[in-house]
Amino acid sequence: MTNIKNNRPLDLYDIQGNICKGYGRFGFPKARYCFFNFKHTRSANTFLTHLIDRITTSETWPISDDKDHQNIKPKSTLNIGFTYSGLKALKLPERSLKSFPVDFTMGMRARSSLLGDTGISSPEHWDDIWQDNKEGTGQVHAWLAINGRDLDAIELEFNILEDLIKQHPDGVRLLPGLKGPNNTNLNYQDASAVFENGNPTAKEHFGFTDGISNPYFEGCGNSKNRIPGRGKLMRDGSWQPLATGEFILGHIDEAQEYPPAPEPKLLSRNGTFMVYRKLHENVDTFNNYIDELTKDFSGSRDLLMAKMSGRWPDNGAPLTLAATDDEKACLDARMIALELRVKDGDRSALAERKILRSKWSDFTFADDKSGGKCPIGAHIRRTNTRGSLETENEAFDRPGALVDRRRLMRRGLPYGGIDEAMSDKSEQGIIFMSIGASIERQFEFVQQQWVNYSNDFKLGNDKDPLIGSHSGQITDKHIIQADTDSDLKDNKPPFFCTQMPRFVETRGGDYFFIPSITALRMIAEGMIDPS
Amino acid sequence: MANTSGNAYGLTTLCPIINGHSPTGSLTTSLLATKDSESHDKKIRRLLQSLPINEDSLFARTDNTYFARLFILNDVFFQQGNDFKRDQLKSKYLCFNSNFHGELEPYLTRMWNNNESLVREIWQHCVAFDRVNRAKDFVEYIKSCQVTTTLFFNGSNDKPVKEQLKALYVKQMFSEFVLTQQGKSATETKQNFKYFLQRVQLNNIESPSWKPGQSQIKVN
Amino acid sequence: MSNISGKAYAMNVITPIPWWKALWQLAAFKFVTTFPSNLKGLINLSLIHYARWSIIGRDSFPHLAQSQPKEDLHYSYMMFESNFNGSWDQYIDSFSFAIPKGLDLFWRYNVGYPKSIPLHGFYNYIRFNQVECDHFYNAYPCAASNDVKSAGTLFDNLKSFTESSLELPDDEFLEAYNSLLRDNQQYLGSLDVGPAFSPPPIAPSHSQEDA
Repeated sequence: MTNIKNNRPLDLYDIQGNICKGYGRFGFPKARYCFFNFKHTRSANTFLTHLIDRITTSETWPISDDKDHQNIKPKSTLNIGFTYSGLKALKLPERSLKSFPVDFTMGMRARSSLLGDTGISSPEHWDDIWQDNKEGTGQVHAWLAINGRDLDAIELEFNILEDLIKQHPDGVRLLPGLKGPNNTNLNYQDASAVFENGNPTAKEHFGFTDGISNPYFEGCGNSKNRIPGRGKLMRDGSWQPLATGEFILGHIDEAQEYPPAPEPKLLSRNGTFMVYRKLHENVDTFNNYIDELTKDFSGSRDLLMAKMSGRWPDNGAPLTLAATDDEKACLDARMIALELRVKDGDRSALAERKILRSKWSDFTFADDKSGGKCPIGAHIRRTNTRGSLETENEAFDRPGALVDRRRLMRRGLPYGGIDEAMSDKSEQGIIFMSIGASIERQFEFVQQQWVNYSNDFKLGNDKDPLIGSHSGQITDKHIIQADTDSDLKDNKPPFFCTQMPRFVETRGGDYFFIPSITALRMIAEGMIDPS
Repeated sequence: MANTSGNAYGLTTLCPIINGHSPTGSLTTSLLATKDSESHDKKIRRLLQSLPINEDSLFARTDNTYFARLFILNDVFFQQGNDFKRDQLKSKYLCFNSNFHGELEPYLTRMWNNNESLVREIWQHCVAFDRVNRAKDFVEYIKSCQVTTTLFFNGSNDKPVKEQLKALYVKQMFSEFVLTQQGKSATETKQNFKYFLQRVQLNNIESPSWKPGQSQIKVN
Repeated sequence: MSNISGKAYAMNVITPIPWWKALWQLAAFKFVTTFPSNLKGLINLSLIHYARWSIIGRDSFPHLAQSQPKEDLHYSYMMFESNFNGSWDQYIDSFSFAIPKGLDLFWRYNVGYPKSIPLHGFYNYIRFNQVECDHFYNAYPCAASNDVKSAGTLFDNLKSFTESSLELPDDEFLEAYNSLLRDNQQYLGSLDVGPAFSPPPIAPSHSQEDA
């Protein structure tokens, strides 16, 4: 337990913006990711030096003076990260390079067997840019992300970037090999929120509402109203922010120490690690599977999807809030009624709606030990267990002891679904990014132990129904538990989703180091000295 | 007694290894000297690391072994720094630790009877093993090397291994069976369940079942 | 790798303990066994098949013959042996996250023990004092401790069901069968080989850029 009196605010101007901000939530529904190779160190360093002033930080955007008092935001943002081979190409000192953790230095491809990236998801099926044996183009050394309010803003920033590259033709190469819509080969990966009626939504291509409940850490700058359900669960049922060091290097983490970090301190402080994965969604396979299974299921199609995900697809309400079709109908009716009252200017309805909406994140599984509401193997229950692994009261120091250090700060957006009709063969999915101080302890653990395995849930080798590495065998299954906790037992048996095919395939990615602005400048100027 | 947790027994032993450069020049030492003068501990380690594993391990043939391990303790570790005293062991030790179901003497007797030549090959490098000729001697020898367990945490159960293996086999089969019956009629389900019982034979603990040390899931 | 057999990892840790503090450590163990609610955290973690602590008095190292030199030690030694599920890192992480005070109780009197928080002191202490196995046997490589326990319960329940329900009329049988599934739904996870503990060795790179 930390015992400092006043937490010093983070130097948000030194921390890259994508760490503290999920740009989608701030009105940036579009993104473009591109990848670079550094051909010549000095020229690459000069390129980086020119780039630094364009990098977006985590600074709080000023509030405008006009009556709306909205934040004054840029039209686009820019952030950068490096692979291990990128840092080597920039000729970081050997001692610094050796001080990076093994997961990062190996890279995601070499660790694919740990992640369940096997069969159709194995690296030989990834986009060309991630292949080892390509000629003339080289390895991925850096990742650049442009997030924009619209496509024009993206194109504008991208053009500036291309011009900058033209000024350093010997130093920096924009890498092709990213598969785009209609079988194109592109030197960028576009991503976008799914739009409905001209408005961006939080949906992805299977129809789920995504990106709810990102972790809240000390100093992130977000409203304290967002702590419940997003921080760490305390014994008295309240929520506190997670320690900063779980997500940002150079700060104390939940284990009361500075997380292991590369040397020297100035290289790692205020930086972090990022996992980037292109996850293709087999929309036909998924929809056909759901359509077929719904025939045997004693509930609606939406309920079946909710029982796999843990949230209702249309609005993301968690099953802990509404576990049946009837309960969902009541919840929907309540929401509609509240909206009407809010429109009429009813202030108490405003407060009521706020409290109800907070339950989308502020919940636990304490009243649902049997999984009768939210199945134990459902996607959100696997990837954020919220204290449910403490099956006996007060067994651990804290109810969330086993999850607090396994939290994933998710960034990213869907891709595809715009320029071509969607099928299994077309290009659509999610660009998944996860940020944290330790790739192995956070992302890799969740992926290996909680997504593609279930020992901690006492469900043996079962896998996550949505993203698990299934292969259509009978034992590739998900159990929708019967409700044995509530008084209203209906005596139905559990329902089994079997022969699950691979709905989501990995199509590429890697591990990146996201340096602070200070570190970025020192890298660009060749000033890193670990001695 | 802390060596047991119900019917589960925890055995910890430190079997002193003959020092390779023993000044006493015992008969055993001279017999085992090789052309390359490999020390006893190195011989044991080489042997241990090449032992067949899983279903082919000597412990798969020693009924009722839950978990067993063999390793060599070269020395104790100096905790480094001026605050700590430095210890050094005068001998290396072959550590044979086992968690098994049942009582110690029958277990060790089985281990000897089912693996005599291999046990001799391993333990011949240990001090005073030359007096071991029969199962009874092996039992006494191991008991003389035994260290009493102070705290035994049993996170599993204390059933006989065969029961555990049978139960695991049945779990594997039943968890798959239930998937094939979803939506079937009452008559079909009942009939298929009877077929299932004929297949798995709940009352036959020997077979069909998982084998001790079985490292792959076989579909029967 | 010889510390691993299927889903289980074999850990051996040997640490020095002043002979007079060994008595306190014995008292601590006695306290835990007398008041087993202290083991609640360990039980709830359910990662362990069997684990044991043994204290070897400094005069108690086995001495079998005159030819064997007698040990002459400053410290007694505590030997810890565990058969658990998961990788080394995952195991140590889970224990230090969930039951740091419990870990301190088990090791507090050992020489050089740094306490379980902050984490890396504890990591380093365990790693430093660990001895690798040369041969490790696991009766059920494809089963974690949770699998063994749930299999036992499921087997008993299945047997009871078979004895009581097989001769029921079809519809009643189905109802009883559905009850069986409901009552045992937490034991129906599939069984297979476990996840890899570490990635395979990296093949030599063919890339020219790999300096």
